Amino acid sequence: MADTVHPAEKTENGPNGPNTAVWRSRAVVRRSTRAWRVRGSAAVVAVLMLSVLLVPPFAQLDQQAVDLAAKLRPPSWTHPFGTDDVGRDLLLRCVYGLRVSLLVGVVAAVVSTVIGTAVGALAGALGGWTDRLVMRLVDVFASVPHLLLGIFIVAMFRPGVWPVVVSVALTHWLSTARIVRAEVLSLRSRPYVDAAISGGASRRRVAVRHLLPGVLPQAGLAAVLMVPHAIWHESALSFLGLGLPTHQASLGTLVQSARGSLLAGDWWPTLFPGLCAVTATLAVAGLAGAWRERLNPRRRSELML
Amino acid sequence: MTPRTGSDSGSSGNSGSGNSGNSGTGGTGGNSGTGGTVLSVRDLSVRFRMRDGSYVRAVTGVSFDLAAGECLALVGESGCGKSVLASALLGLLPGNASIAGSALLGDDGLDLLRAEERVLAREVRGRRAGLVPQSPAAHLTPVRTIRSHLRETVRELTGDAGSGRVRAAAGRAAFPEDHLDRHPHELSGGLAQRAATALALVGDAPLLLADEPTTGLDRDLVERTVDELRRHTGDHRALLLITHDLAAAGRIADRVAVMYAGRLVEITDASGFFGAPGPRHPYARGLLNALPERDFTPIPGMPPELGALPPGCAFAARCARASAACTVVPDLVSGVACHHVAVAHA
Amino acid sequence: MLELRSVTAGYDRRTPVVRDVSLTVHGGEAVGLQGPSGCGKSTLARVAALLHRPDSGQIVLDGETARGWRHRAPRAQRTAFGVVFQQPRLSADPRLPLAELMAAPLRSNGRPVDGVRELAETVGLGADLLGRRPHEVSDGQLQRACLARALALRPRWLVCDEMTAMLDASTTAALVGVVEAYRRESGAGLLAVGHDRVLLERWCDRTVDWAELTSA
Repeated sequence: MADTVHPAEKTENGPNGPNTAVWRSRAVVRRSTRAWRVRGSAAVVAVLMLSVLLVPPFAQLDQQAVDLAAKLRPPSWTHPFGTDDVGRDLLLRCVYGLRVSLLVGVVAAVVSTVIGTAVGALAGALGGWTDRLVMRLVDVFASVPHLLLGIFIVAMFRPGVWPVVVSVALTHWLSTARIVRAEVLSLRSRPYVDAAISGGASRRRVAVRHLLPGVLPQAGLAAVLMVPHAIWHESALSFLGLGLPTHQASLGTLVQSARGSLLAGDWWPTLFPGLCAVTATLAVAGLAGAWRERLNPRRRSELML
Repeated sequence: MTPRTGSDSGSSGNSGSGNSGNSGTGGTGGNSGTGGTVLSVRDLSVRFRMRDGSYVRAVTGVSFDLAAGECLALVGESGCGKSVLASALLGLLPGNASIAGSALLGDDGLDLLRAEERVLAREVRGRRAGLVPQSPAAHLTPVRTIRSHLRETVRELTGDAGSGRVRAAAGRAAFPEDHLDRHPHELSGGLAQRAATALALVGDAPLLLADEPTTGLDRDLVERTVDELRRHTGDHRALLLITHDLAAAGRIADRVAVMYAGRLVEITDASGFFGAPGPRHPYARGLLNALPERDFTPIPGMPPELGALPPGCAFAARCARASAACTVVPDLVSGVACHHVAVAHA
Repeated sequence: MLELRSVTAGYDRRTPVVRDVSLTVHGGEAVGLQGPSGCGKSTLARVAALLHRPDSGQIVLDGETARGWRHRAPRAQRTAFGVVFQQPRLSADPRLPLAELMAAPLRSNGRPVDGVRELAETVGLGADLLGRRPHEVSDGQLQRACLARALALRPRWLVCDEMTAMLDASTTAALVGVVEAYRRESGAGLLAVGHDRVLLERWCDRTVDWAELTSA
């Protein structure tokens, strides 16, 4: 940790303050690495989003097209990620796969957050035996391993996108519910809620103007943090053959169909989809972490006199 | 007082050359301290860089000396910069703060403002300077008992964490033994304050900083707390009491320093401040008159924003004595920073 | 007249913090309630302002017995009170600028909000502070805004729960001055709860000791 010495300077007070002062500050190295991590994550997410949005309209990919002559080619200039076991370009497949995975991940995360927020807010705001009933329900759901529950739900339907979304959404609202309930309970006992009630505010007004805005940042953060987890779940379900049909590209199906080639020594059909999943997950998690730092109220008032 | 420019006079550990003598800066009357100078602050200034690039000058040009056995009360309203001063002395300022000036501790003249974090952590905090913080409940880990707090501190500072030592440490602050296994939230305000005091006293530091130790306490508890702090000071420690509670300060201080808008506006001995002839600076006089025991009249107006200080005397806008001379910041001369002290009043 | 009759209240039915307390505040009178911290006086103040349901006992407000608490109390009864709490940081919604904070009771009751600037002036807040958020102002300024909020609907009864415990002497004197000026003008009654006997005796018409109330 180095002391940064600023050059001696006249103070802002003009002729009245001390004429020269050597100001020193303790350079906080941590802050600059954090800023670079955030920029890195944001850049990666931007690249991923751009490729997911821009590439498909320009490179139409017939999901069922097969070109056996070109099968299992290693990475080269024409196929930067190589080709898969039926000759499809893997880079394009990864982009399509990423698009599906991101879509499923985001929708599932949002739906699960909405469910969790509604349940948690209801329990926290109503209190009493509603609260107790709801929390016991949450405990029941939490006692079941959620991947198993997810498999159970998705197995009831034919393979497709929406069963996967429903399965992930229904198994991930628990932690959001607990977080939101805790936040609502803490806000309800604050004196400013008492002041609002004393000022004549109706229940709806207190909920909408005071409780909900306090809860939304946490809920939003929970949603963003859920996206990597949802992507992972979709990949897991598809890998197990229960999620999307194999002809449809998603990161999970890509890895699943690459299993056979791996044993034959072809590493690229497994590596690149996996790398995409890891990169996307880390980048989104990085951004979410940065947002959580910003939400921390103490940072908002850096100056405490 | 020898005027000091801000020039760097060498790294920490440089003995002697930084100390400018033992007499209290600007204090009328002698110190009641028997020992040497424990802390010597010169031209301490702290400013914070805000997000939009502007600066907030929380502390400007503060100088004072503190001798062993002496209690100096630093008073001022909330927002005047006194807590920033305490944080600056212990190296606890946030990353956007810059400091100027010097604060020399003890006989070897260690400059607290230039010392590296390593030195502060290993040698200064707890060992040479102890902090009794504001709102102790917020400064104690909620999931640990008081005993475990004390044990950790005792082990860190003395190397021996026997139960005898822990009990002795608690006893020094009159913290009852049967409450040692409670958690902070189970303690009343007064007991939590005593726990925090016990922690601060473990290292037997020659300098004690008490940052608003009486906020939120009942009056008799305030009196007991400050009396205890004074008792601990004894003859060989120095106590810097930072507070906005004038009554508490009046009870135990040997000297009083008044801060306004980041500057020291008056520094004088306590009997002359609380008794006759009373404070000489109009702000200090107004502060004393606002007490319910006295006139109970507020000072009109509000203090200036520390990010937009006016040129000249910061109190002029609220001062009945203001005149054209007040467009220049008054220097601290024989304990008062005001252009109009010579005006006699009934 | 504000009467508290045999109020028993707390946060756990088995251990009430307020036991069988009775207190009367006459119209236009200022009553100080002095007691050590943690004794239950804040709970009593909240019960009096219809913000906390007592386990037993009654509140009689200007001849009408209160039948409901918090949201269940009729708006007319709730707004007859203006309440100021001890910690200004927790009494202000951190997202609202001060102007919104002070105007909130007016909005809740469908009244016009154009008088906020004058309201701010009566508590000594300049117009330049109205757009600031709570973390950008000092404790003293924030407490002034909370007092303005309490006075916005011109209540008949003021309940101040340790209003000045966190403030310095000059701000304390200023806020007490504002309360007294309002009371002179409107004839409102005041229940001031605190631990500082000197302050309460200087401020209020009569001061009651918590120990007396609970032993009676």
